Amino acid sequence: MNSMNNVTTIKELVTKKITVLKEEVIDQYQVSFEVKKDDVHHLLSVLKQAGWRQLSYLSAVDWIEDNEFELVYIVFNWEKPVHIQIRCRIDRNAPTMDTILPIYPGAKYYEREAHEFFGIAFPGNDSHEKQLILENWDDIPPLRKDFDPKAYSDARFPKREYSNDHVEMNGQKESKQAKREERRTHILDLIKGGKK
Amino acid sequence: MRKLKLFLGPQHPGMHGNAAIHMYVEGDIIKKSYLLPGMLHRGFEKGMERHSFVNNISLIPRVCVVEPDINELAFAMAVEKLADLKVPERAEWIRMIIMELARISIHLMAYGGLGGPTGNYTLMYHAHADRNTILGFFERITGHRVYHQYIVPGGVRKDLPNDGIEADILDFLTDLENRYDEYRDLGIENPTLLARIKDTILLPEEVVWELGVTGIGMRSAVNKPYDIRKKMPYCKYDEVEFNVPVSNYSDARSRVDLKLKEVVQSIRIIRQCIDKMPEGKVRVPIAQGQSMRWTVPKGHVYSVVESSRGEFGYYMVSNGGTHPYRVGVRGASYPQGLLGIEKYMPGTRIDDAALWVDTMGVCSPEIDR
Repeated sequence: MNSMNNVTTIKELVTKKITVLKEEVIDQYQVSFEVKKDDVHHLLSVLKQAGWRQLSYLSAVDWIEDNEFELVYIVFNWEKPVHIQIRCRIDRNAPTMDTILPIYPGAKYYEREAHEFFGIAFPGNDSHEKQLILENWDDIPPLRKDFDPKAYSDARFPKREYSNDHVEMNGQKESKQAKREERRTHILDLIKGGKK
Repeated sequence: MRKLKLFLGPQHPGMHGNAAIHMYVEGDIIKKSYLLPGMLHRGFEKGMERHSFVNNISLIPRVCVVEPDINELAFAMAVEKLADLKVPERAEWIRMIIMELARISIHLMAYGGLGGPTGNYTLMYHAHADRNTILGFFERITGHRVYHQYIVPGGVRKDLPNDGIEADILDFLTDLENRYDEYRDLGIENPTLLARIKDTILLPEEVVWELGVTGIGMRSAVNKPYDIRKKMPYCKYDEVEFNVPVSNYSDARSRVDLKLKEVVQSIRIIRQCIDKMPEGKVRVPIAQGQSMRWTVPKGHVYSVVESSRGEFGYYMVSNGGTHPYRVGVRGASYPQGLLGIEKYMPGTRIDDAALWVDTMGVCSPEIDR
């Protein structure tokens, strides 16, 4: 009951400050808000002031059919345990989003990772363009939906030829089974006292 | 003084997993350091988009090598939230037994891992022997030792075996509890080890909030029971009694101390689970029809589990199809592993670097994923 109150308080707090495009209550511990790109920083600082001091997750989703990226910020408050998802859509052709480092210093590496895997620029975060996980990557950012790992590996790595000598059981090549058969007839012959 | 660049890992007894720490040192003081991840990157998030919900079951445990069950549970809970599914009661209790056994085994491994960088190998052998017994239980329950693929969306894969496994687990727990003092004497009460871990590698409360450290690191600094199991209970954690050990001074010793105290609490939880577990079904299908064509309703959810290192979460987006549209993994050691090493490791000594990684709980596979 208490935690459902938390959700109501959050809804009041958020809708009073900014315009919410879409809101959804997932359960008593989680609520999500879709907002405009320009409102994200304001909303995050309001929430941090209200006790949502921990940035749990930051990433993006590629909606290629709408030609948009969706940024996801998840913040958490340990005193009123509710995860708040804040989502905003940004343009896919020139994806930029101002950094949230002044509000949540822990976002540094999340933004760097989002840049590496989606190609979203975070002006204000000096290190966002540095290489983090992918070494010498030479293709489009890999978590975009139009990146195809199979095509990438076909183009980059030589096709492997598999030899199939292990399946030649009854072919011209001498196999283990033929050897075994031969030994068996030999032994049977020996029991009978050798070949007649 | 001459400035040197040194590497800790990827192959080093004190480094956990395949990641390297690049350190610039002057004398034996680290002046600058950063983590170099990526050696274990296997494209899990992309891989999950390209497999159906059922196929993913065999992929997810591999995200974190030593503690795979948290992945299974977080993934299953995300799917269940999307599909609005009620899990059978017996399955919830079995899940808790698995999770707590896993917690004991990972804490023992981390505790034993302390023996590596400090040269106290007896501790490591003892801890790994006990972990091995737990892996034996996992093998009897699930058929696998390390990657269990046991907790699936909709319940657990099969019921507990009918060969007296409950009694064996209880016997083992009593045995472990009897050796608790011995464990403390070997490790954190041992003067040779104490000299290395007491009053070093401090983690003040401001740093916790700045980085976003969770789990034992947070609880050892802020002195409050900030545990997902208490704050937003999943499974049946609201129906069992347990305490969350806390402290107000976070050095390497107090964090290890909390790990040992958590083992005692996990033992308590498992006893209650075995006692309270009802009979019944253990799995429900997440949708109608053939399992490869199961679809999950549209939505965005974030599901969290308390792992041994803190808040471990899965962010899942479904487009209403058979495959997840996007899966994001929030590794529990992401904040301290990347930003923490860059910002707060400088200033410590070279020989404490391995202890830093060990007691802060940095797990490189969940950073790479």
